[in-house]
Amino acid sequence: MTPEPIISTRDLNLWYSDTHALQSISMKISKNHVTALIGPSGCGKSTLLRCFNRLNDLIDCVKISGEILLDNENIQSAGTDVVLLRKKVGMVFQKPNPFPKSVYENVAYGPRVHGVKDKAELDKIVEQSLRHAAIWDEVKDRLNDSALGLSGGQQQRLCIARTLAVEPEVILMDEPCSALDPIATAKIEKLIDILKRDYTVIIVTHNMQQAARVSDYTGFMYLGKLIEFGQTKQIFENPQEDLTENYITGRFG
Amino acid sequence: MSEKFHIELKDLKQDTAEMVQFSRDMLSESVHALILQDPVMAKQVSSKKKHIKDITLTLEDRTYSLIALYQPMAKDMRVITCILKMITAAERIGRYGKDIANMVKHIQDQPEFTQPVPLQHMAEQVLKMIDDVIIAFETEHLEVIKDFSSRDDAIDSLWHSLFREMLTFMMENPKTITRGTYSIMVARYLERSGDHACKMAENVHYMVTGERIEIK
Repeated sequence: MTPEPIISTRDLNLWYSDTHALQSISMKISKNHVTALIGPSGCGKSTLLRCFNRLNDLIDCVKISGEILLDNENIQSAGTDVVLLRKKVGMVFQKPNPFPKSVYENVAYGPRVHGVKDKAELDKIVEQSLRHAAIWDEVKDRLNDSALGLSGGQQQRLCIARTLAVEPEVILMDEPCSALDPIATAKIEKLIDILKRDYTVIIVTHNMQQAARVSDYTGFMYLGKLIEFGQTKQIFENPQEDLTENYITGRFG
Repeated sequence: MSEKFHIELKDLKQDTAEMVQFSRDMLSESVHALILQDPVMAKQVSSKKKHIKDITLTLEDRTYSLIALYQPMAKDMRVITCILKMITAAERIGRYGKDIANMVKHIQDQPEFTQPVPLQHMAEQVLKMIDDVIIAFETEHLEVIKDFSSRDDAIDSLWHSLFREMLTFMMENPKTITRGTYSIMVARYLERSGDHACKMAENVHYMVTGERIEIK
């Protein structure tokens, strides 16, 4: 049985001025699963990821057509509350980007923006989020220290905690481990596996072994097109498209 | 994945095909030695035991290195796993060849005995199956292995027929018991070699198509 989709795109196209960066992308992202997007640099995977919380709106020359449905509502429609959308669809970037504030304030920032004022409730959210992001034990005694003093791996998990604090439904991860060492990477991968119990995760990665390890579904993109989408096991064991085969066996890219 | 990996994988595949061929030749020569009662040829086959073990270890080491260094995926992964399985099956076939060759000296002084007809026929069938697996492995054309199920059935029938024939011989003339028992063992080794050829064919099929099949 196909799992329930949380995000669906229908004939999604995106142009950067004259460059047709996403071409007729139609896909379904399954709820409470991890979906990986792979493909060579410039294939459009990060652009596609940024469509899911309308981060591309911030770029002037971008034009989008087609539909992106989140919980059956088209997020491209003019009436979409983008702030609320980005609360529902959180994002973790390639390089850890904590605010130059304390560990506590980093996590409390989002809930405060969304109206939580009560200190006891904020304390609860901060602890829960840090626990969910598997970093609580490492920072519980230094909540008031600057987040910039944490290691790269800790900073990235703090950023995940910051995303979790606003109770998203979907977490987008754009190469979340590319700036991390193997041990920190392993911790993030383990965390992703735990996160999917409560959240839907979409991850862009250049590391194919990582995509194979962490994801349930994988989409291979090339020159703005979604070439193949399917269960990760099938994509990495027996891809149906020659382009996918050639990419994941390193014959190009 | 680097070009170096694909060159190394191609070489490894070629060397694996040669190893399977080497094992196949050991089996073929051992049956010849048995039928011709040629102890010299038998000894030559037995002496290849160390070589087949050495090639097995070398090929396995090269395979493990490629996995550790490159973590191959998709078709590359399937080629690697197929190679590992082929090596194991081929080593077993080579060792059956050695075991058959070793029997020649044990039956030399036994009363004259005509080797049962099915034995030679079985050997031809099994060797042809191994030949076809090598062709499928090298060319990735599966036509030659598509009828392996019925060919394996034919070999099984020969084995049962030979077994019954030998029992009758031995009951009628107890002096043939030693040679008869060895003939049964040879037939059993050939039948097992046929099974290994089927296993190799299953793996080659997986390597080429990505789909698992069972040859019964």
